[in-house]
Amino acid sequence: MAILHTGEASQGLERPDGGMARNALRILYVEDDPRTAAAVSELASSSGDTLVWEQNGSAALLRAGMEAFDIIILDRMLGDIDGLTITRRLRESGIGTPILMLSALGRSADRAEGLDAGADDYMAKPYEPDELMARLRALHRRNAGQEHQAVIIYGAFECHLKARTAFRDNKHLSLSPKEFELFRYFMENAGETVTRDMLLRDVWNIDFDPQTNVVDVNIGRLRRKLEEGFKSPALETIWGSGYRILEGV
Amino acid sequence: MEARRSIFSRLVAGAIGLSIVLVIALWFVTHQTVLTTLEDGAAKEVDVDIAGLVDIYATSGLDELSERIDDRIALTPSEGNTPHYLLANDDGDPIAGDIAQWPQLDPMVSETGFVPIGAKSEGFARAVQLGPDLRLLVARRTDNNREILSNIALAFAVGGSLFVLLVALLGRLAALGLQRRIGQINLAFRDPAKANDLAQGSSGDEIDELTGHSARAITRQRGLSEAYKETSEQLAHEMRTPLSHLDNRLLKALEESPKPNVAQRLVEARSEIKRLVQTLESLLDIASSKSRRGDRAGLAPVDMSAMVNSLCELYAGSAEETGHTFTWEVEPRVMIEGEERQLSRLITNLLDNALKYVPEGGTVSVTLDEGPELVIADNGPGVAPADRTRIFDRFYRGRSNSDATGSDVHGSGLGLALAKAIAERHGLTLALDDTKIGASFRLKK
Repeated sequence: MAILHTGEASQGLERPDGGMARNALRILYVEDDPRTAAAVSELASSSGDTLVWEQNGSAALLRAGMEAFDIIILDRMLGDIDGLTITRRLRESGIGTPILMLSALGRSADRAEGLDAGADDYMAKPYEPDELMARLRALHRRNAGQEHQAVIIYGAFECHLKARTAFRDNKHLSLSPKEFELFRYFMENAGETVTRDMLLRDVWNIDFDPQTNVVDVNIGRLRRKLEEGFKSPALETIWGSGYRILEGV
Repeated sequence: MEARRSIFSRLVAGAIGLSIVLVIALWFVTHQTVLTTLEDGAAKEVDVDIAGLVDIYATSGLDELSERIDDRIALTPSEGNTPHYLLANDDGDPIAGDIAQWPQLDPMVSETGFVPIGAKSEGFARAVQLGPDLRLLVARRTDNNREILSNIALAFAVGGSLFVLLVALLGRLAALGLQRRIGQINLAFRDPAKANDLAQGSSGDEIDELTGHSARAITRQRGLSEAYKETSEQLAHEMRTPLSHLDNRLLKALEESPKPNVAQRLVEARSEIKRLVQTLESLLDIASSKSRRGDRAGLAPVDMSAMVNSLCELYAGSAEETGHTFTWEVEPRVMIEGEERQLSRLITNLLDNALKYVPEGGTVSVTLDEGPELVIADNGPGVAPADRTRIFDRFYRGRSNSDATGSDVHGSGLGLALAKAIAERHGLTLALDDTKIGASFRLKK
């Protein structure tokens, strides 16, 4: 089963496990620490993506100018030119490739600096591999313009973005405004693991982890509404990582 | 710099006001002095004239006096005031002279005063009693005086206006010079990167001295701030990178499908890493907030009502699940100049704190009023009096009088310290109210 946007057939290929085979991404990764680079590289190849690694800023700028990439992952503290400067230079020279900053600086102020410089997303080390991949795909989707669709269909679920209504098996789901936002986020990231940090940041605009289990409780409530009257589960808990929406068929 | 709030504009306005008062005062003194001098002159002329006429009357009699009076009227003096006379009997009936009617002056006491002469003029006059049925009035026209005084007034009006204009112009020029020099200092304080442009002038005056002190202070502050940023970034980098490697190894171990109890420990170890990173971040955030106390840079209008409502909605489910009665009352459109994420962290920390310490069945209430004034109150075990001053200290744990929840209440011990640091960075105070039941945290200006 594929994720359908505006009801049209997706470009993705179906996999035997029922998940969607995504288009492979071509990623430029700028990181001066070989061990981190090796880990991310391994992660990318395990999901079928191509990763080009550059160890310093000037080489990365040169490479980004000559070749086309789907995504750039950028460390902030590099030996020669820092990540913020690289981002500014890329943007100034008209390169609009989505940039995800993956940095050891993870405070609110650091994130704000990164985003202000022109980065599209910001993640701090240590990172959740699932979350990194999910965010890369979300960024790519956003860049490809797929987010401006009117309806997202995934399995038995339908999310009508403009009407702000949700359906499962054509049956209307009664969601509160915030629950709809949550549902929509899951649908936009259908097939991907959605972590607590992603939900806090993108749904509630909070970039730290509250001590109270607010995310789990709100997900629990949404789950009840999505599953009430249906036999199959709607959300899968990925232990120690996050959640994923299921097809619900 | 706004003109109405600038000290220099006020100084120039003050100087203009003072000049106007000065010019008016000078004109008034001059007017009075000239008037007195002119009147004294007229009085002397009248008295000399009277003395002569009295002599003529004494030596030559009434006819001669009448004749002389007529002669004097006929002669127009080349300088001084024109003389006018009235020689009359006791009833005031004219005998000689050119004044038609005896005025209200008593000749018995040689009274002086201003009398009408003809239809339009007036003059200074003295009346004297020459004999039992004879009185004399000698007057000098003072029309010239009015002309002189109005000329003086005109001169003061023109000269005074020019003087005030000059004061305003010079004041404005001086003020602009000072304003520019003080403005440079203010600009350097607002944007420390411009401290290098703060050139000390060559005049060696007080402002030059202030400029020098300011440039040094700003450069030093900028150095400290850069050193702090560099150190905290290096600290974060040097700790987060190895922790990231460690986390990656634990994840690899988890992927190899270990036994459930091993997997459990690996997950716990990953949580420990996360907690360590959070502690580091909180410490750096506290230091950053403290170092930016009172600094308005980077603040923007934040709709605090919307923020509090959204956070309360987020927490409502958790509060319900833990058996708390959770209520919130929010005044709409309460705005504050602030950093949205920092403020939401402050409120979140207070909510976490309340839900953590208040036992099941307790109540937690949030109220936001204009000011802004935010109160997060509960009916939990409260804070022991001895702990009240320490509750906002870093790494201080143990809010409850007794562990009423019966659970293991642990945290980083940084939540309230960070909340207070964020409050102070925004020019707000965060304090614990003196309540008999529970704890009540109050955030206000």
